[in-house]
Amino acid sequence: MEQNAKAELYLAFAAIFQRPRPEISDHLEELIELWAEEIPASRTQVQVLEDFCRKHPAGEKRLNTLWEHYIPLFETGKVEASPYASVHLNREKQVLGTESMAVKSFYEKAGYAIESNGELPDHLAVELEFAALLARDGQEEYLAEFKKVHLLPFLSVILPLIRNSGRPVYAAAAAILQDWQIHSEERG
Amino acid sequence: MKRRQFLKGVLYGTGGTMVALGGFGTFTKLAPQAVAAAKEEAKTVFSTCEMCTSRCTVAVKVKNDKVVKVEGNPHDGATAGTICARGNAGPSLLYDPQRIKKPMIRTGDRGSGKFKEVSWDEAYAHIADKVKTIQKDYGAETIAFASRVNPQDQFFRLIARAIGSPNTFSHEATCPMSRTTALEGTFGNPYIGADYGNAKYIITMGRNFFEGIHVPMVKGVMKAVANGAKLVVLDPRFSVTAAKGEWIPIKGATDLAFVMALANVMIKENLYDKEFLDQYTEGFDQWVEAVKDTTPEWAEKETGIPKDKIVEIARGFAAARPNALIEYGWRTPWTPNDYQLRRAIMIVNMMIGNWEVPGGYYQKKGAGVLAAFPDQSGYAKPTGGGFGPQPAAPKPAKGRIDGAGVKGTPGQLIPPVDGAVGQITESILTGKPYPVKGWFVHRFNPVISMPESDRLIEALKKLDLLVVCDVYMTDAAYFADVVLPECTYLERYEPIIDQSGLVPKLQLRQPAVPLVYADTKPGWQIYKELGEKIGIGDFFSFKDMEEFLTRQLQPAGLTLDQLKEKGFWSPAGMKPFFMRGNDPKAPAPPTNAPNGKIAIFSHEIEEAVKGEGIPKYKQYPQPEEGKFRFVQGKVAVHTNAGTHNVPVLNELMPQNSLWINTQSAAKLGVKDGDDIIISSGQYEHKGKAKVTEGIRPDTVFAYHGFGRISPELKRAYNKGINDNKLIKNEIGESGNVVTSTTFVTVRKA
Repeated sequence: MEQNAKAELYLAFAAIFQRPRPEISDHLEELIELWAEEIPASRTQVQVLEDFCRKHPAGEKRLNTLWEHYIPLFETGKVEASPYASVHLNREKQVLGTESMAVKSFYEKAGYAIESNGELPDHLAVELEFAALLARDGQEEYLAEFKKVHLLPFLSVILPLIRNSGRPVYAAAAAILQDWQIHSEERG
Repeated sequence: MKRRQFLKGVLYGTGGTMVALGGFGTFTKLAPQAVAAAKEEAKTVFSTCEMCTSRCTVAVKVKNDKVVKVEGNPHDGATAGTICARGNAGPSLLYDPQRIKKPMIRTGDRGSGKFKEVSWDEAYAHIADKVKTIQKDYGAETIAFASRVNPQDQFFRLIARAIGSPNTFSHEATCPMSRTTALEGTFGNPYIGADYGNAKYIITMGRNFFEGIHVPMVKGVMKAVANGAKLVVLDPRFSVTAAKGEWIPIKGATDLAFVMALANVMIKENLYDKEFLDQYTEGFDQWVEAVKDTTPEWAEKETGIPKDKIVEIARGFAAARPNALIEYGWRTPWTPNDYQLRRAIMIVNMMIGNWEVPGGYYQKKGAGVLAAFPDQSGYAKPTGGGFGPQPAAPKPAKGRIDGAGVKGTPGQLIPPVDGAVGQITESILTGKPYPVKGWFVHRFNPVISMPESDRLIEALKKLDLLVVCDVYMTDAAYFADVVLPECTYLERYEPIIDQSGLVPKLQLRQPAVPLVYADTKPGWQIYKELGEKIGIGDFFSFKDMEEFLTRQLQPAGLTLDQLKEKGFWSPAGMKPFFMRGNDPKAPAPPTNAPNGKIAIFSHEIEEAVKGEGIPKYKQYPQPEEGKFRFVQGKVAVHTNAGTHNVPVLNELMPQNSLWINTQSAAKLGVKDGDDIIISSGQYEHKGKAKVTEGIRPDTVFAYHGFGRISPELKRAYNKGINDNKLIKNEIGESGNVVTSTTFVTVRKA
């Protein structure tokens, strides 16, 4: 896969797994097109996503539907799949665990800093965005190390949770990401 | 391709909305010198706990901006460096992924659980618009405000005052408010403390020190017991406290009969301090008259306690005078006239002259109290206000919905600062005395804390505006229009906390670490910013909490740095001050007491309700065969409705069960652990039975705060019994809720 496509894919997944925002919601079709084109195994899930887009045209209603599912899935209360790696990978199951600190250190090692008043370092979308930047800039060694040490262990835990939630858009996106990052790795 | 336009734009920073680095603006490029390995930094921040409302001092251990442990404050003699399980659980709350992280606005039907996250500005604008509409259509007084008592109330309540609503409430009607009414009616103020540690005889009715934990009080009672004090525990249930003393399983709702019988014996046998009563009190003659027929024989029939035992306790208590006390209670609203039980308790206490002596009761010694004592006044000066000059607030167009504080009416018994919070439900549903259309809730969970949950939810659904500020998506937040995420106590400043006891004591709550979730805010900031959006910003004339705290401390001659040093301040060299410690005849006036005397006969209460100036016994029904009195209480690892979703505390105790006596259970064919249905007639609740000898056969018991309704409280949802689903929303004589007059039946599920 070419460097740009890889970067765009990481970024597309970062887009969908961050808090819903209008510009992402309104460009959902474009993300789906990318996945369909670059990840052939995603055909079934792509159809599910396309159905969603047909039923929920771009606009406020689509955005609110994303919120309706994003909040219990990732954000507040039920939190069916906490988006923070340390909740899954550290014994305490809390945010800002050692994995969070380790990821932050990795960002710094690679020459990036995360805004201190923004999202926590080990948020799923943040890690994917970081991978996108590494891919874009051709920092292949860092990307390989980041994937091996941080991203893949996290994805292997969280993506099944998101898939099993059955939440529209998110479950399908998780399945596609799983296919690209986990199953394709397994297939070599 | 279209997609390439969008994604490339984001990726390479050409999309117009993203930063130059590209991506979603999460990252910045580091300068090479900043990549150095971070130094490990450890520190201790002294602050004040908020896992319950007791406000113990704590030492927060921080490593690399992360709280690694919360311990007791070793500098504080009151706790001696100890905290309880809840205090220990602070980091578990702080780093809980289930906390609310952003402001939210409801997008679906009320109670559908559908929300979207919004910016603070959008949330404030939404609230401000609704407030203005309600003000215009119905009047500002139709917006109620209710909070769990906390130091930030002054910001929350200022919103109400500035818009012209008189309807501010605390949770106290569900907790100690009847005691407050009693203390105000007897001593002129509610700031009365007890010196448990030096007591030689302690009688407690329902107050369960070792499960409703207040660390300094627990230590005091433990010290007394270790020194050989007698501990008598009247409780229909064998509580942990009962296990440490003599358990007397009193019949529910008859405690006042027991207290009046004690007085009867003490008067008949001349076991009281006449000189004390003559010098410091007024109205003892009326009390003598009131208890002349409340003999032990009579009380035995009422309470189920053998008359000889009542006499024995009266003699033992009086023999220990003045270093003995009958505990005045904590979560007190058992019956409609509970305040008279609390009054009677304090009157019998005063009969042994246990005022302002070790092992007795005392006026809490803030700087204002010390000012009246020349040899003590040099130790401390009062603090000031933090707000600065205040504009004139609009006069509310109508009085309070609960009539609190209106002289010459029963409402005079209701402390206006707390109010009869149960009235909010009634006013929403009945429109009387006028409707409530909006409700602001701060760190209070009425759905679980107030009686008759279903009726309360019905009321919430009728509101035009419900705003809830909390750290979790609580049961109340679940029904809100707008949910505001407060940061935890480990991340924020609060106003100075006056915890004076026998010496003045000022405490600080200060941030130990930066915000974990960047879009949460402290309450003071939320209400200041909301006030500015509503157009009442002039009332919040302070820049930040450092400025606010500095203004507070300046008149006391103190600085913020001084408070930060140990997390609290008490005057150096001052010893615990009992007004009668050295001289039993020394002046010892309670603050604000009418005529400077302790009011055994209360003219204020008589003014409110004719004939109630002296406590009178009211007989409440007892459960008929097949029914049980339903009582509730606290458990050591949870706080009211506040902690059941905190990870480690939930792990310690995820649910409750219904305590039922062995014989009673056998009659019903119920075995320990069986699924049961509890019915109040109007409401039913599923639960599990705990079959035990440790409860009266006519009583059942459940720990409070379980059986949560919000599915968003993932760990606590639907686990155990929500006691308040079964309890009727009755408003007691002093505005209290009524917790112990509900009868239920139990059957196997």
